[in-house]
Formats: sequence, structure tokens, C-alpha cells
Amino acid sequence: MSSNQLTLAPAPPSEAAERVRLEVREFLAQELAAGTFTTHVDTWLSGVDPEFSRKLGAHGWLGMTWPKEYGGHERTAQERYAVTEELLAAGAPVAAHWIADRQSGPNLLRYGTEAQRKEILPRIAAGECYFVIGMSEPDSGSDLASIRTRGVRNADGDFVVNGAKIWTSNAHHSHYGIVLVRTGPPGEGPRGKHQGLTQLLVDLSLPGISVNPIRILDGGHHFNEVVFTDVVVPGDMLLGTEGAGWHQVTAELAFERSGPERFLSTWPLLAEFGRRAAATGDPAQLAVLGRLSSRALALRQLSLRIAAALDRGELPDIPAALVKDMGTTFEQDVVDEVRRVVDVPASLDSPDPLGRALAEAQLHAPGYTLRGGTNEILKGIVARGLGLR
Amino acid sequence: MASDQDLVVETVRDILSGFEPFVLTPERPWDEGLWSALAEAGLTGVGLPEEAGGSGGELADAVAIVRTLASGAAAVPVAEQLLVAGPALVAADLDLPSPEEPLTVAVEGTVAAEPSDDGDGPGRFVLTGTATDVPWAGVARHVAVLATPPAGIEGAVLAVVDASGLTASSAVNLAGEPRGSLVLDGVGVPGALLTPARAATLRARYALTRAVQISAALEQVLAWTVQYAGERQQFGRPLGKFQAIQMELAQMAGEVTSTAALVDAAVQALGRGEDTVVLAAAAAKVRAGEAVERVAKLAHQVHGAIGFTQEYRLHHLTRRCWSWRDEAGTELAWSRTLGAALVAAGPDDVWPAFTAVV
Ligand SMILES: Cc1cc2nc3c(=O)[nH]c(=O)nc-3n(C[C@H](O)[C@H](O)[C@H](O)COP(=O)(O)OP(=O)(O)OC[C@H]3O[C@@H](n4cnc5c(N)ncnc54)[C@H](O)[C@@H]3O)c2cc1C
Repeated sequence: MSSNQLTLAPAPPSEAAERVRLEVREFLAQELAAGTFTTHVDTWLSGVDPEFSRKLGAHGWLGMTWPKEYGGHERTAQERYAVTEELLAAGAPVAAHWIADRQSGPNLLRYGTEAQRKEILPRIAAGECYFVIGMSEPDSGSDLASIRTRGVRNADGDFVVNGAKIWTSNAHHSHYGIVLVRTGPPGEGPRGKHQGLTQLLVDLSLPGISVNPIRILDGGHHFNEVVFTDVVVPGDMLLGTEGAGWHQVTAELAFERSGPERFLSTWPLLAEFGRRAAATGDPAQLAVLGRLSSRALALRQLSLRIAAALDRGELPDIPAALVKDMGTTFEQDVVDEVRRVVDVPASLDSPDPLGRALAEAQLHAPGYTLRGGTNEILKGIVARGLGLR
Repeated sequence: MASDQDLVVETVRDILSGFEPFVLTPERPWDEGLWSALAEAGLTGVGLPEEAGGSGGELADAVAIVRTLASGAAAVPVAEQLLVAGPALVAADLDLPSPEEPLTVAVEGTVAAEPSDDGDGPGRFVLTGTATDVPWAGVARHVAVLATPPAGIEGAVLAVVDASGLTASSAVNLAGEPRGSLVLDGVGVPGALLTPARAATLRARYALTRAVQISAALEQVLAWTVQYAGERQQFGRPLGKFQAIQMELAQMAGEVTSTAALVDAAVQALGRGEDTVVLAAAAAKVRAGEAVERVAKLAHQVHGAIGFTQEYRLHHLTRRCWSWRDEAGTELAWSRTLGAALVAAGPDDVWPAFTAVV
């Protein structure tokens, strides 16, 4: 029955996770006090700070669940979850390593060759190697399987890549990309275009790659167009199985969609609002704080259950889509709800930290419900889970 | 779900299937036949210790029963008995009335408790005032009343009132479930003093119970709506094939699923006896109430006009959910409680307070 696909086993809190949570909390308090970073909204997109990433690596807070032989720490998904939550809640600068730690590393663990893992995973875990997701193209957003970037094997068995990727977050700071390319013809039928797709591990310093900035609403440079002109990607940089790219991408998206970053991007705004509510004691503000928190708590419970399911080797792709849809809607609603009960204009130049947080959250808000798959697409996946398609 | 619970749920479903939910009227305010059948099967004592006269079993079993009855729109005070009044009396060392007779809870109103001087010693109080918004008033044989303690004493008095001699005002909620007042005119009853924390836990249990019922009912509403969208054809295809309808159903699923996760986590916190259960219950109640807003609206929209009729079953649950979200403390009250608690530790400690809730 459909509801089974949405029902997940509970994930009660573990002592180990609570312990590491407090360690991270203390570390962050010290760093904040020392002024090594300042809190901002949506820092997992915009807070690039390699020095900070290296510090996290040195504490053992990256690659936490990976095997020790690859620089990992063999800790539980719950412990990792606690660490990521603490970083997001504090608005810490985590963008440099975020994609590599969350997504690319696990992807390499699952599909990479021994050489790829040995070479790259320890560097990610040290906070020194950053990745981009090379999926979207100018003409292929929601309809990802329609991509046109090609990888053609040459006589040496290498892939010659031509095409362009777009919206590539932090390509200008990163070392590698996992790039989805077409290596073979599509098959017949409506799902035919899922065939012939392949993931390649691409060193972004290879000749023929150019990275062109694209600015977002607040003028920030976070994402890019990445153009590939006759780029020769060595044959041993194939990730996983040639032609199985669609399957690999789908599995990856369950990791990408269900984490706490899907409902905590605007937590720093909510925390600032909490400070205001504490100062004013205004019952309307306290009620909004309580109400928004109850939504976040519900999302968190669901997200924790998905993390536990992923840890058990399940593929909860439908609940993951649901969390991302609900979570990013929540992130946007935080802006609307808060501004209704405070008399503070949003401005990046505001002397009031609440005005600044409101401005940052508002200017980043359109991205929440787009990146990682739009909410319309996610609802379509949930509808499929309900047996409607 | 453990297999004992599956068995319990099976049994309740079997019994329930003999009693189709009906529209409540002033003449028929509850389903007495269903109650008797449940009581006969020992299901009205589940989760209450055998020493106290209950049927034993875990909190999770009682919750499973309450969920099944809620999604079946069963008009019986089982939730109040198994999850609120029963456990509260047991925890306060008060005698549990026979679980075969319906027991409810009263937490609102102006009831004051004074120690009794009828010579029966401690543990007896005289209650005076009016208990309001009493679920199943006029139906339940006994009422666990939370009353204001004598001057100078903190907390509350929990007392057991035999309601058979009292007249209940006949107010009903949006679903027609009795929600009357009871006038207590200096009645002498057994009771116990509760600390403020215990009294708060009782109120939280009540709120969480309504959240459990809402969560179960909304799951059923979603299932009905998905089923309907698969059957009802317009423009030559089932409604569920239209993308606009798919979006609405997916949104409902999101509300239902995230609410269920939080309610379940709060129930587990209750089972573990955690001190944060008041806040977990507050969060669950607020979240469930918010889910009602969206899920009921969308369910009625997808069902079209048939869902707006009394003959169709949808309103058995949507009307209950609209009421349940206002009962046991409104969303506004609980959201203020939660908000105030989150900033209580200090303006910079909202996040640690948040992660400690559940
Ligand atoms: C901040 C940010 C960071 C990003 N980072 C990356 C990255 O690092 N790497 C990467 O590869 N991509 C990245 N993306 C791209 C992102 O994945 C795409 O924006 C997304 O997949 C949507 O594609 P699109 O923008 O082309 O919109 P379109 O696909 O053109 O969609 C436009 C609108 O139409 C709707 N729509 C489209 N198809 C359907 C349908 N079948 N049914 C209903 N509605 C539909 C969409 O929901 C949307 O509302 C990023 C995007 C943002 C905003």
C-alpha cells in the first residue's frame, strides 16, 4: 500500500550523537567568540571558508561515516546528522566542503574504483577537496534526462567531453565535479532517455574547462556556468557503470534531498527572531516562534528517520522528496511569518541584525524551492509514491 | 509496528466494522454498543496496569487502539480513558473506576477543591464550581477533574467524580461529540494533590492525545482522498491523473507524514517519561492543528460536492479534526507555551532548547 512508502521506523536519539553535538556546539561558540566567522543565513550555499572546512576536518567532523581506510571515522549517520545540524543552526561557513561531504564522497564510496576512493576520499575528509554537482544544463533543468553534454570514447578509451553545465554551485572554488554526460543513445519509449547516461569524475583543472560566474539576486557569486570544450577525461575516471548514470543520480538524490539543510537554511533568521521574541516577550511573536518550531520539529523527526533508513541501506527516495518539498516551503515561510510580527525592514545594511537576517533570507528564498529539484517535481514524485502515476 | 500491536489493531478493526460510524445527534450522542463491545473485549483497559483493574499492556498498545478508533470516527471516550484520565489517576495513586465504564477528563473551568472535613481523612476533597468543555459530558460515568487547589498550595487537585448524579449541559463540538459543562455543587470526592509539573503533564497528555487522534484521522482522510481521486473520472480520466490534483494530494501527504513523525516521537518521549514531554506534546498539538487546516481543506476540494454532503463519510473525520485542534488547549495557547519555553533559557539558546524538545 502506498502509505508504506511514506512510513519509516523511528530513530530515537543516541547518546553518541548527543555527545558530538555538544562538542560541535562548544567549538562553534569558541569560533564565534574568536570572530573567525559570523553567522549568516543559507551558508551551505554561500559561506565558503576553506580554513574553516579544514578545521572541521581536523576535528574528524567530515567523512564521519566513511571507513577509516579512506580517512573516515566510522561513526553513525546520527552522529553526522547532529554535526551538520549544529553547523547549519549556527550559520557557519560550510559551503566549501558541503557537497563533497554530503553527496560526492558517499557517491564515490558506492560507485568509485579503489584508486578513486584512495585518492580522493581522505582529502575530502580532511576538508581540503571540494566537489560540484554537474547535472543541470541550460536546456535541462527539471527534465534532467534530456541533457546534451556528451562524452565520447576516443581510441585510448578516454572520454572526450563537450557541452555546458549550469547553476554549478561553487565550481570556482572546487577541485572535482561529478558530471552527468550522455555516452550512448537513448532507448525506446518514454523512459528511454534514461539510458545511455554516465557519471564522470572530472578534475576541474583539466584543459578545456572554463568556469563563468553567474550572480544571484543579492549580487553574490555562488554558482556558475561550466563549459567543456574537447575536455579529455581519462577512461579510469568513469564513475560506476557506463550507461547507469540515471540510476546512480536517482540514488544520490535521496542523500541530497533529505538532510537538515532542507529546513535549516533560514534557521539563523529564526534564531535572531527568537532573540527578539525573548526581549519583547510579545505573545504574538512567541506564538509564531512556537508555531514555526513545531513545523521544524516535525520535519526534523522525518528527516532523522530517513537518515536512519539510509544508514540501513534502504532507498527512501519518496520520503526524501517529501522532506525537501515541505522543508524548503518551511524555509520560505519563516521569512513571511517573521516579518508579519516584527516591525523591522529587511535590508542587508540594516543596523539591526534581524533586519539583516531577514534581507539575506528573503534574497536567497527563491533558490530554496528550486535547487536539488523543484517542489513541483518533488510533489510529482510523492504523487507517484501515492500510486497516482 | 510490533506484532502484538498489529493484533490489537486487528481486533479493534473487527469490532469497529460492526458499528458503522453514524452522524451524532442530541438523541444519539455516542456509540454505546461499540463501547460495550470494546469493554467486553478488555480493550477499554489497555495500557492501564492490571493491579489497578486495567488490562495491562504498553502505552503503544493503547495508542494503537486510540488511533484505530479515531480513524474509524468511533464515538466513544476511549482516548480520554486510556491515554489521559486513566493514567493520570493511576499515577496519582487514586482508585481507577472500572474500565468497563467510560471515564473522561475535565481540565477547564472554575472548579475549586477544598480539603474535606467529613472525617474521612486525607485524600478527600470538596469540589465547587463548573467544569467546562468536558469531553463526553453526560456520557461518561466518571470524570477525572483537575481543580484549583486550596489557597497557598501550588499545583492542582486531581479528583474522581461520579457523574451519574450530575446533569451535564448539552453542548457539542463541530462533529456533534458531547462537550458539555458539569456543575459541581460542593461534592465530596476522593482526590490527590498534584505538583505543578504533574498537572502540566496531565494537560500535555490530553493535548498529545488529541494530536494522536488528529494524526490518525488525517492519515485516513488522505487514504480516502487518494482512493477517491483514483476512482472519480472527469474529462475521461481519473482525477488523480491531473497534475493539479497530484500536487494537492502530495501536499496532503507531506502534512500527514511530517505530523505523524512528530506525534510519534512525542508519544515515545511520553513512554520514556521524559521531562520535555510537555513541550513535545505542545509541538505535536500545534503541528497537528496546522495539518488539519491544510489537509481538510484539500480533501474537501478534491472530493468536490459529494464530500460536502452529510451522507458521505468525509465529514465524519474532517469535522472531528476541526474540533480536536481547538480542544485540550488551542494551537495559539500551545504555540505560545512552546515559543516561551524556547526563549526561556536565554536569548541565545533557542537552538539548544529546540533540539531538546524531542
Ligand atoms: C541556488 C541554486 C543552486 C543550484 N546548484 C546546482 C548545482 O550545483 N548543480 C546543478 O546541476 N544544478 C544546480 N541547480 C539547478 C537546479 O537543480 C535547477 O534549477 C532545477 O532542477 C530546476 O531547473 P530549471 O531551473 O531549469 O527550471 P525548469 O525545469 O525550467 O522549471 C521551471 C518551472 O517549471 C516547473 N516545471 C518544470 N517541469 C515541470 C513538470 N513536469 N511538471 C510541473 N512543473 C514543472 C518547475 O517546477 C519550475 O517551477 C541550482 C539551482 C539553484 C537555484
